[in-house]
Amino acid sequence: MQTYLSLMLLFPLVGGLASALLGRKLPRVLVEGIACAAVWGSFACAALAAAAYAAPETVTVAGWFASFDLDIPISLYLDPLSLSLAVMIGFVCGLIHIYAVFYMRSEEDYPRFFALLNIFVFAMLTLVLAESLPLLYLGWEGVGFCSYLLIGFWYTDKNNADAGRKAFITTRIGDTALMVALAWLFQLFGTLSVSKLNGMGFLMPGSIITALGILFLVAAMGKSAQVPLMVWLPDAMAGPTPVSAMIHAATMVTAGVYLLARMFPLIGGSATVLSAIAVTGGVTAFYGATCALAQRDLKRVLAFSTISQIGYMMLGVGAGAVTAATFHLLVHAFFKALLFLGAGCVITAMHHEQDIFKMGGLRRSLPLTFWNFLAGAACLAGLPLTGGFFSKDSILMAVWHKGGALYQFLYLLALATALITAYYAFRMVYLVFGGPGGDGHLQSGSELKVMQLVLIPLALLGLFGGLFNLPAYIGEGYLNRLFAGVAGGAPGGGSHLEEIVMQAIAGALALAGLLAAYLRYGKGRAQRLEEAGSQPSLLGSFLAHGWYFDNLYNLILIRPYRALAAVLWQRLDEGVIDDSLDRLAHALGRTGSWLGRWSTGRVSIYLISFAAGGGVILGYLAWLAL
Amino acid sequence: MSVPLYHVLVLAAVMFAMGLACVVAWRANVIMMLIGIEIMLNAVMLVFVGGSAHWGIADGQLFALMLMALTSAEVSLALAMVVYLHRRKHSVNTDHFDSMRG
Repeated sequence: MQTYLSLMLLFPLVGGLASALLGRKLPRVLVEGIACAAVWGSFACAALAAAAYAAPETVTVAGWFASFDLDIPISLYLDPLSLSLAVMIGFVCGLIHIYAVFYMRSEEDYPRFFALLNIFVFAMLTLVLAESLPLLYLGWEGVGFCSYLLIGFWYTDKNNADAGRKAFITTRIGDTALMVALAWLFQLFGTLSVSKLNGMGFLMPGSIITALGILFLVAAMGKSAQVPLMVWLPDAMAGPTPVSAMIHAATMVTAGVYLLARMFPLIGGSATVLSAIAVTGGVTAFYGATCALAQRDLKRVLAFSTISQIGYMMLGVGAGAVTAATFHLLVHAFFKALLFLGAGCVITAMHHEQDIFKMGGLRRSLPLTFWNFLAGAACLAGLPLTGGFFSKDSILMAVWHKGGALYQFLYLLALATALITAYYAFRMVYLVFGGPGGDGHLQSGSELKVMQLVLIPLALLGLFGGLFNLPAYIGEGYLNRLFAGVAGGAPGGGSHLEEIVMQAIAGALALAGLLAAYLRYGKGRAQRLEEAGSQPSLLGSFLAHGWYFDNLYNLILIRPYRALAAVLWQRLDEGVIDDSLDRLAHALGRTGSWLGRWSTGRVSIYLISFAAGGGVILGYLAWLAL
Repeated sequence: MSVPLYHVLVLAAVMFAMGLACVVAWRANVIMMLIGIEIMLNAVMLVFVGGSAHWGIADGQLFALMLMALTSAEVSLALAMVVYLHRRKHSVNTDHFDSMRG
């Protein structure tokens, strides 16, 4: 087991370092091959570990810090949660790597790209497998750093570099909360081992657990792009499409959900924390879905849908259903990677056009992409019997069973979100693939063919993802059995009939959303295209700008900060500090040149002064002696 | 018989005053200044030797020997510089070399 786990981490690390250090010397095919082989090797190790898995296991690889009472070895922890995530990360990232090889064919700076991509995978696997919180934090910062570099990959364009900085700075707010939580946990418990901490929650009064839980929640908000720290994710579209797929599907944004699920035994004891997580998730799910309604950029639609879906996962954790949240996380990883990679195919074929109102008819010219994308959209919308349907429904079930006015309200909010989700998912499909046209000058080539083939396994996994965890009335869920021993992993109660009724409601809502999208964008397509050219309505632009959160933050944070910086710079730094030093130096200089007039440069005068001085001293001594 | 320390000190003081007077009086000529400085140094050496003889400790004599070595080195350097100065301005008057004026 130790071999598998160490190799799982070492493969991407070595691959990344090889591309970074030797990438320019090696032929291109080799660099691409190393990058893909590293991730697939890591996936193979994950699969072998899964095959050999029997019970939760801690593996100590090496020592790290050991001084006084601080003892942090590099140890990895394999339990159902980390195992399922590691397998998913290896698989999805492996496919994305293959896709990236073809997507980035014309990119000159490929060694940097593949090195970062591999290190990204390494950081995420470190985060997932870490047994101690400092190691987890290392991975946490690692994904943040890699995402910063990859979002701003085409850094010569200022917008891209700014988007990278925005992502880094926004997530940093959450990182700070995590750092505080870590320091506090060590002070309270004297250990930073996850498994030990999770067993010690009862030692502390509820208020402290609540505070710790809120700190973890803030950390997750930053990383998982939850309200109010979600502004970075839509801008993160500036990166290359495979990077977006990685960030949204397998790495980065799921880290926050993972952290909360990982620390659930510790923080789950506080009802306040759970409510806060659930409210954050519910509000974010609704926010993301409404914003996605009005976007025109294909990748921004997907970005807001990610925010919304991650909100569902948070809602699941908040309802105490770690299994349901993980289930949705896995299925979401498959279909979101599928949607992003499909969008990448569309964008490549359309010569880098991203406005969905300028597309259309692609179902005829890109049939393979169309069917795969349709599968992804069906999962996103939660159409019955797709993977997304089962996973979303298990979260809804858990929220409903949690009971209480708050959770019932959140349940209704989540249902409304599901309706909106189906609507915007098919709005996107109808606008991009429906309608006339599409036989014009599309870019085609062998790259595009391979890129489309990569979509197929993802589409199958997304569509049949429900098999991972079938509802109780059909059969025993695989994940439910796997997670039975994990805190918060037990499936919620409720009779089969109730479950069927609730699935029927969710399915009906998804179909209603599909119908509405069909009526509005399938039949009324021409009218919508006409409207798109005119000035958007007030509500439309409110949603399109993400509820104007960027403007709000600009007003309450960025502008005061800039004003303060200007005052500190011009008044304090230049006005007080620099100016006083300048004046001091000037005064000293003038004193010096004034004193300098005493030195005539004539040796004779010095000599006479010297002799006179000696005479005076002698005279004084003589006067003292007499 | 031995010369009392008092006499030695008086002689040294007179020599020192003469050396100083030489330096001050011939300040227009750098070579005369050097000679004056030598006389002053000799006065100092005389004090060392007198002190050494008075207390019967060899340190003063050693110091006098070191001063001799030092002055010979100093004079060789100083004369070289005098030659150099003379080449530059065809003058040995120290007042002509006043570029260090503040």
